[in-house]
Amino acid sequence: MSITSALAGALSGLSATSRQAEILSSNVANATTPGFARREVGLGAAVLAGQGQGVQVLGVTRDVDRHLLGERRIAQAGGGDRDVRAEFLKRVEQTLGTADNPSSLAARLATFDQALVESAGRPESQARLNSVAATAKSLMAGLAAATTDIQNARASADRRIGEDVGKLNATLQQLHELNVNLRSFTGAGRDVSALLDERQRLVDQISAIVPVREVPRDLNQIALFTVGGAPLLEGSAAVIGFTPVHTITPEMTQALGGLSGITINGRPYETAGSASPILGGTLGALFSVRDELSVSAQGKLDAAARDLVERFAGLDPTLAPGAAGLFTDGGGAFDPLNEAGLAGRLRLNAAADPTQGGALFRLRDGLGAATEGPPGNGTLLAALHSALTGARPLASTGFAAGNRSFAVLTSDILSDASALRLSAQSEQSFSAARLTALTDLEAQNGIDTDREMQELLVLEKSYAANAKVIQAVADMIDILIRLGR
Amino acid sequence: MTRISVGDASLTNILARQGADLRGQVQRAAQEVATGRHADIGKVMRGDVAPLLAVDASLARLAAYKTNTTDAAFQTAAQQSAIAGLSQLASGITMTLMGSRDVQTPAQVNVTAADARGRLASVVGMINTQASGRAVFSGVATDRVPLGGSEDLLAALETAAAGSTTAGQVEAAVNGWFADPLGFGAFYQGGASLSAAPIAPGEAADLSTTALDPAIRDTLAGFAMAALIDRGVLAGNADERARLAQIAGQTLHRTEDARITLAARIGTVEAQIETARSRNAAEATSLGILRSDIGSADPYEAATRLETFRTQLEALYLVTARVARLSLTEFLR
Repeated sequence: MSITSALAGALSGLSATSRQAEILSSNVANATTPGFARREVGLGAAVLAGQGQGVQVLGVTRDVDRHLLGERRIAQAGGGDRDVRAEFLKRVEQTLGTADNPSSLAARLATFDQALVESAGRPESQARLNSVAATAKSLMAGLAAATTDIQNARASADRRIGEDVGKLNATLQQLHELNVNLRSFTGAGRDVSALLDERQRLVDQISAIVPVREVPRDLNQIALFTVGGAPLLEGSAAVIGFTPVHTITPEMTQALGGLSGITINGRPYETAGSASPILGGTLGALFSVRDELSVSAQGKLDAAARDLVERFAGLDPTLAPGAAGLFTDGGGAFDPLNEAGLAGRLRLNAAADPTQGGALFRLRDGLGAATEGPPGNGTLLAALHSALTGARPLASTGFAAGNRSFAVLTSDILSDASALRLSAQSEQSFSAARLTALTDLEAQNGIDTDREMQELLVLEKSYAANAKVIQAVADMIDILIRLGR
Repeated sequence: MTRISVGDASLTNILARQGADLRGQVQRAAQEVATGRHADIGKVMRGDVAPLLAVDASLARLAAYKTNTTDAAFQTAAQQSAIAGLSQLASGITMTLMGSRDVQTPAQVNVTAADARGRLASVVGMINTQASGRAVFSGVATDRVPLGGSEDLLAALETAAAGSTTAGQVEAAVNGWFADPLGFGAFYQGGASLSAAPIAPGEAADLSTTALDPAIRDTLAGFAMAALIDRGVLAGNADERARLAQIAGQTLHRTEDARITLAARIGTVEAQIETARSRNAAEATSLGILRSDIGSADPYEAATRLETFRTQLEALYLVTARVARLSLTEFLR
């Protein structure tokens, strides 16, 4: 019997080698496939009735470092979070204008200041009055453009939250179906490596949005929880609810109504603060952009707008007390209870604006002046300039206390935007470095074609050896047959 | 199991990332070399851009003050030259007028009076001087000349002095008219004094002189008395006419000090404007230097950086090319 056993053993060697070659070819072919984990064929000695019977293929294993994968996913989520925040803060800095930008808020203010000084020096000059009106409008346009930009950023954050939630729901559903397939295929003992690869890729997608913890269950099943503890996949996929809004105005907040929060399986969850289970990825960062960062940036702009309005109110002796000054809230007097969004609503007083049916001389003679006064009267213009440059306390919150001129307030806002952007970017590069290090480690565990080639040489040799054994056995059998003649 | 392999993707990732990083650095350095400005001013200032903005705001304001000092200097120069003209016209006739009683014949007095009438017209013209469309002695009513025609002035004075029979009465009537808010005060077409013009941070130039200034008013009165003789006041009374001419001469002589004082006062303002102008220019220059220090990139430093990154990038390309050829597959053929 032993010669036939030798034949069978060599045959098992041949088939094991073919199987190894098959897996090796798939490894090499997927050398650059993202999310592909290296496969290895597990071999063992085949034992039949207490005797060695060649080699047997025990199965195909995926070579994955679970701990590293988990770390990398969390780092990826953190990177997404920092990216979103840094991107928004950079946008705010850009929209306010960097310090050396001629269209920055500070540069617009400087030209307004300049126009007022020049006009006070020569009040009869129509050109200089015109430039006071034009630079005042440019200052308001700067504030309004920044407001529009910030609100657009909020709207786009809201839209992206909607997209992220849609992606989460779809991916969770796919994961659930994969879980079902894996259960039946594993039960039937089939090779499930490709399905596991696909599942890993899907979990990677989710973990960019919300950092997740993957909990393995029997029969190749997994359950998913956010790092904060909310269940996403446990037996069935969770349904995440969110309603995007079409347009966002500065007055709308999640607390005061108008903006949607988030629900998981119908239960509302916090979107900010330590109680929120969804923080740490792009989703949490988008909520933060929509509800905190942009509201704070807008608040500062509104405080500046309010300061501007209040500086010029009550200066003008031709106006009744309480009437709107040079800068108005959409044409009317400013109501302190209606500060939100003021930066976007500023208008030059219609009485002094030729494009709204007013006349420039009212900049010089008073907004309530019925007829043009003596053209050389620069008293009011000089008063406007000192109102702009004088130090006064701020009526709004959000700034350190103290008296400021409007220029100092503006430079505070710009410096603030710059500093926030810088710290966000430094956090961003920190988390990016962490993600890079982990991704590198993961890539090191990936396919090494040199190693596969080396194994190919071994396989060739062992295939040849097994074939040689078969040939030798055949020769031996031949000899035996010849003996019988 | 102990790993003895390094995935292909690992090296590719590292090389690609380093390449991207170096290319970004090269781009920033190249931008700084080309524009002379920091690619990221916020980072250079560590987020506190207030000093830079303060310098920029001061520079903008100094540009405005430069315009204002030019305007104010023009205005005061026009006033100064008008007053110099006034003094010249007055000194040319004062002695003649003062001698009219003792040295001159009545006919000569008539000639002098006619001369004075002509000079009065010139004086009114000088007070009505305009500098770049701005009447310099009109106060805030810069669009109107301060005085009407000299003949209108004389006609008003004639009415005021009607019935006077002696030179003393005429003098009293003329002085009374000039002091009367309804007399010269109403004849003056300008407005209240100009408010001070800002010429430097916290500093303003006093441009308040108008045609109502006593020096100008009394000079006008002197000329007007002499000119009234030519209009036929005290006709037939040669003695009183000569006396009036003499009083006119004395008035002009007496007001000379006031004119000099006025010229000196305006001169002080001119000096102040000039000082402010040179101070502003010096400040603008030093602020400009400071601005370059804070806000501009050092081109040599940026160029050196560019060169370093270029060398590094070239080395990286070389490494990439060499490493790409290191493959077992290549040697298995």
